[in-house]
Amino acid sequence: MTPRLRLTSIVIILGMIIAFVPENTTKPYKLTASELLEEVQYGTEMVSPDDLAEWLINNDPSIQLIDIRTPNEYEQFHLDNAMNIPLSQLLDEEWIDYLDQGIMMNIFYSNGTTLSHEAWMITRQLGYENNYVLQGGLNYWTETILNPSAPALTSPDDEIAKYTFRKGASQYFGGGSLTQSTAATKSKASKPKIKRKKKKKAPDGGC
Amino acid sequence: MGPLIPQEIIGEGWNFFIAFAVGIGFGFVLEQAGFSSSRKLAGVFYGYDAVVLKVFFTAAVTGMLGLLYFSLFDWIDLNLVWVNPTFLWSAIVGGVIMGAGFIIGGFCPGTSVCAAAIGKIDAMVFVGGIFIGIFAFAEMFPILKKFYMSNYLGQVKLSEVLGISQGALAFFVILAAIGMFWVAEIAEKKFPKEEY
Amino acid sequence: MKTKYMNPYLAGVLLGLVLLSAFYFSGRGLGASGAVKSVVVTTVDAVAPEHAGGSGFYSKYLKDGKNPLNSWLVYEILGVLVGGFLSGAVAGRLKFKIEHSPKITSKKRLILAGMGGILFGFGSQLGRGCTSGSALTGMAVLSLAGFVTMMAIFGTAFALAYFFRKNWI
Repeated sequence: MTPRLRLTSIVIILGMIIAFVPENTTKPYKLTASELLEEVQYGTEMVSPDDLAEWLINNDPSIQLIDIRTPNEYEQFHLDNAMNIPLSQLLDEEWIDYLDQGIMMNIFYSNGTTLSHEAWMITRQLGYENNYVLQGGLNYWTETILNPSAPALTSPDDEIAKYTFRKGASQYFGGGSLTQSTAATKSKASKPKIKRKKKKKAPDGGC
Repeated sequence: MGPLIPQEIIGEGWNFFIAFAVGIGFGFVLEQAGFSSSRKLAGVFYGYDAVVLKVFFTAAVTGMLGLLYFSLFDWIDLNLVWVNPTFLWSAIVGGVIMGAGFIIGGFCPGTSVCAAAIGKIDAMVFVGGIFIGIFAFAEMFPILKKFYMSNYLGQVKLSEVLGISQGALAFFVILAAIGMFWVAEIAEKKFPKEEY
Repeated sequence: MKTKYMNPYLAGVLLGLVLLSAFYFSGRGLGASGAVKSVVVTTVDAVAPEHAGGSGFYSKYLKDGKNPLNSWLVYEILGVLVGGFLSGAVAGRLKFKIEHSPKITSKKRLILAGMGGILFGFGSQLGRGCTSGSALTGMAVLSLAGFVTMMAIFGTAFALAYFFRKNWI
């Protein structure tokens, strides 16, 4: 065989192999460990129950609650309008459109924060944005929003205001005891800006 | 894994060093292949010397296969490799103008720089011409802008347009390249060949 | 006949590997006309800064006071000069000369080279890249633009070859 015939056959074989193997579609990790650590340290993924309560009361259309617990637990109790994505099914094909998008603000919750944090970590590593974690989970939600405890009378004003708001919210969500309370003071909770999905970042090119 | 600099595996500061090193390789190979001679380059259009065709398509096939295999082995993330955007009309008209420039001037920009490096005066004039041509385009840009931006199809790949996998397209390109080499070698035998 | 140049297929594979290393390290392919563009932008900026700042073309490359000469392609083209020179030195091809067909004069060859350069420079801007930047690199990443530009360049050159044959053979 002449060298050129040999080269030709090698290239044809390589071409045939590449034509028939499936394409590599693994999504690469988008965040380095240190970037992730930074996000966790600043707690940017956290949403406080107070903020959430306010958004829900205002019927904010861009909020999507996601219950990360098992279907069983979900059946027993879940927040209104929450959808159920059990952690074990997080990576299923059917959920990707919910988790990786640029329109809704997803808020994961579980009983505590362990499961929801795990879910957040995984999706964040995949490069998905707009996913958040409900601070303290359902337990803390019950404690602060559904059954708020009155602060001491000597507490600073903003503590009292917070309590008043929680009391109002509690009524709204139908928890706790019914006591008359003045309408919740409107303290505008700032919502993190939803990041529109960006086109892939590629180095500048061109000739 | 790769590409190393966009992934920040090696520092941004190395980018220009790598550009320089890649350039040395580029220039060396072009010159070794004989691309520093305009008459050799133009030979492909008259059938007496198909070196342009052979080198060009072998390089494109090598790069193509290399990228696909690197991606297969997870050595490179193709999402981070620049795909030039397609503006259909300006690509076609630009290509036609470049083709005319090629047959008249006998070089393309890369080869002219390479030929100028070994002292070809016509190549130096050609580089000067490129300078003027780009300046002319820049001055006419306000008029041309609309055309320049027309028919934008995005950073689209031919495989997506044809609806086949990238690997299958690569395979067809390989077959096409081999077919062209075969024809080119027949032509080279038919037309008298001179070494320039 | 013994050729003084490298086997074209071997050269092609080597060129492909150079291209691949550019992709692997920098995530981008080769280019040439972009470097000349940087020089043009810098020159215009130095001669007529107001004109450069006001034009949609130049200002694109002069954003945030960046020096357009400090770009990947400029360093790459400096490398091409060095690489070409080294190869010429190794092969003993360093010589000032004007190469042309015996049927035309040196002067005519230079005029044609200049015209070709002007056309190529203009076309490369319109087509967003030259043979190396758009056609070769574009084909390697399977970009539609790469194939379109490649076919337009070679197709036109073939179509016009007959009319310019006296300049070459």
